[in-house]
Amino acid sequence: MSTLIRTHIRLARASIHANRTRSFLTCLGIAIGIASIILILSLTGSISRLISDELSSAGADLIVVRPSISKDTVTSVVEELTSSNLYQKSNLAISDVDRIAQIPQVTAVAPIALSVNTITDEDNTVASATVLGTTPDFIDIEPLALRYGTFLSDNNKSNSVVVGHMLSLLLFNTSNPVGRTLTFHGQRFIVVGVLEEITDTINFNNIDYNNTLVMDLGVLSELLGAPQIQQINVRVTSTSALSEVASGITDSLHQNHAGDTNFAVAYGNDLTHPASNLLNIISGMLAIVAGISLVVGGIGIMNIMLVSVAERTHEIGIRKAVGASSRNILMQFMFESVILSLLGGVLGIILGYLFAFLVSVITPFTPYISWEIIAITLLTSLVVGIVFGTYPALKAASKDPIESLKHYR
Amino acid sequence: MNEEIIELKGLTKRYGYGDTESFALKDFNLTIRRGEFIMIMGPSGCGKTTLLNIIGLLDRATDGEYTLNGENVASISTTRRAKIRAKKIGFVFQNFNLIDNLSILENVALPLVYINRPRTVRLQNASDALARFHLQEKEYYHPSQLSGGQQQRAAIARAIVSDPEIILADEPTGNLDSRASNVVMEELKSIHEEGNTIIMVTHNPALTTYATRVINMLDGQIDTDIKTVADHNLPQPIEKRNKKRKRSRRRRNN
Repeated sequence: MSTLIRTHIRLARASIHANRTRSFLTCLGIAIGIASIILILSLTGSISRLISDELSSAGADLIVVRPSISKDTVTSVVEELTSSNLYQKSNLAISDVDRIAQIPQVTAVAPIALSVNTITDEDNTVASATVLGTTPDFIDIEPLALRYGTFLSDNNKSNSVVVGHMLSLLLFNTSNPVGRTLTFHGQRFIVVGVLEEITDTINFNNIDYNNTLVMDLGVLSELLGAPQIQQINVRVTSTSALSEVASGITDSLHQNHAGDTNFAVAYGNDLTHPASNLLNIISGMLAIVAGISLVVGGIGIMNIMLVSVAERTHEIGIRKAVGASSRNILMQFMFESVILSLLGGVLGIILGYLFAFLVSVITPFTPYISWEIIAITLLTSLVVGIVFGTYPALKAASKDPIESLKHYR
Repeated sequence: MNEEIIELKGLTKRYGYGDTESFALKDFNLTIRRGEFIMIMGPSGCGKTTLLNIIGLLDRATDGEYTLNGENVASISTTRRAKIRAKKIGFVFQNFNLIDNLSILENVALPLVYINRPRTVRLQNASDALARFHLQEKEYYHPSQLSGGQQQRAAIARAIVSDPEIILADEPTGNLDSRASNVVMEELKSIHEEGNTIIMVTHNPALTTYATRVINMLDGQIDTDIKTVADHNLPQPIEKRNKKRKRSRRRRNN
């Protein structure tokens, strides 16, 4: 049997080699489909790696409380994406933050309340700066580094702010404005610290720290009225306390919210869920599009194999006359289409990673290479070869030897 | 006396139904012994090629019995037929039927592919067969680079490479000039002298001198059947071939 398989492979190679141009064009059809799949998988892989890196740098002992929307179903994720007033519906309040802080084993609680406001100093005005209202605990939870000065503390939080790197440049034309003052909502604040410039743009809080003004949530709510808290980050003493604290948070917020479960408590892998869900939907849809191009490539293979079968009718007749069974002929043509398709797959993997590398040059993504992706794409091209090679091969195998021998070009 | 290798009983091949019904073979009976060199003659359309195709298991009879080497092969599966074709039957065609994009050596080795011989053995056997027909220096040529006579000799080499029991030749000299015809016939004769059974269709009465038996067909039936050599004078399989066959049979049994 193995000699026969080797022979089939040799025959397929010879036939592909004899029709180089035709074979190359056929492979290209498969290669383009495979390349787009590689591109999609490598980019989404790189994004989810960015997210999980961010999560692990934030720490595994983190609990996040969000206004409840997200479920795992596709519709809820789409709803979450399309509803523009999501953050306005937040049911979390400052009292919730206080309640959580009282739970034992909680080491730090940092709410996140984002708004966009105008900030001025003596010379400049920034019309749309992100203002982050939080607590001094924030620096313990979010792995932020300070370039100059200090973060907010319980002592100075009533009149101090911390600014991001870009905001500092825009407002003060300097990277070190510690000690200078700025005006926000008619009240003057002293800049006590500047954040280190942040280069990776993706983090799971979705905040562009370079353009952010950080101030105390209590002060912010005095100025703006009750702000919307989009998220409360909670750090616990150890990872083993996570589930216990999480249920504690759920219980106390239940009481605070008069029994309503309009919040979600997440920790561990659940943290990345909304982002991963979105990513899965997008990559799934892109993969379907790539799949369509793969089907087109497969039809190309089928077409070429049908031509090949018609051209080689006489050869099929001769092979049958000297003792080839229908199965031998079937295998011969199956091998040819599978090898064509696999060649296309290999070409597609190379092309795909080439594209992914080019994309990585102009974007922050790094191409994500894993043996799983390569295995999946090779398997896909194998399946395409088998599926679209079957009909031509059956057609070849079912040819009548006598008729085929008469068929003389 | 040599044993019977082929027995045809009441063989019928019908084309079409009802008004369009026609018979290529009609109640055809024939017994062939090992070592016979049979020439089948007759006008066009008398069923010669159909007979050859049925004996060669390329075609099925509509009705009748066909016993090959004691095995009834009239109604066996196509896969089994292909297997018997690969092992026991060698074909020689009028238009040579070599595959154009394979070298002569690969063409000759082709039947061995389907009885699972390793590549080196295939090429060695094919090379030996070609050497026998004085074509060893043409091994790596392609069919289109050879003359008609050379192509037909290569085709005969292909027919005998798997050491078959029966060689079927359908007008092997039909496309050749008389000189090339004689060379081809001499080769067939030498194969026959080694004890092979040859059944050949021809239109050329001059070639019947090579035969041990001449059958004239008419309308799907035997018209005349003349044996020029008595059954007990048919060539015996030569010792070497006998040994070889025994050895391979022993190998198969083990």
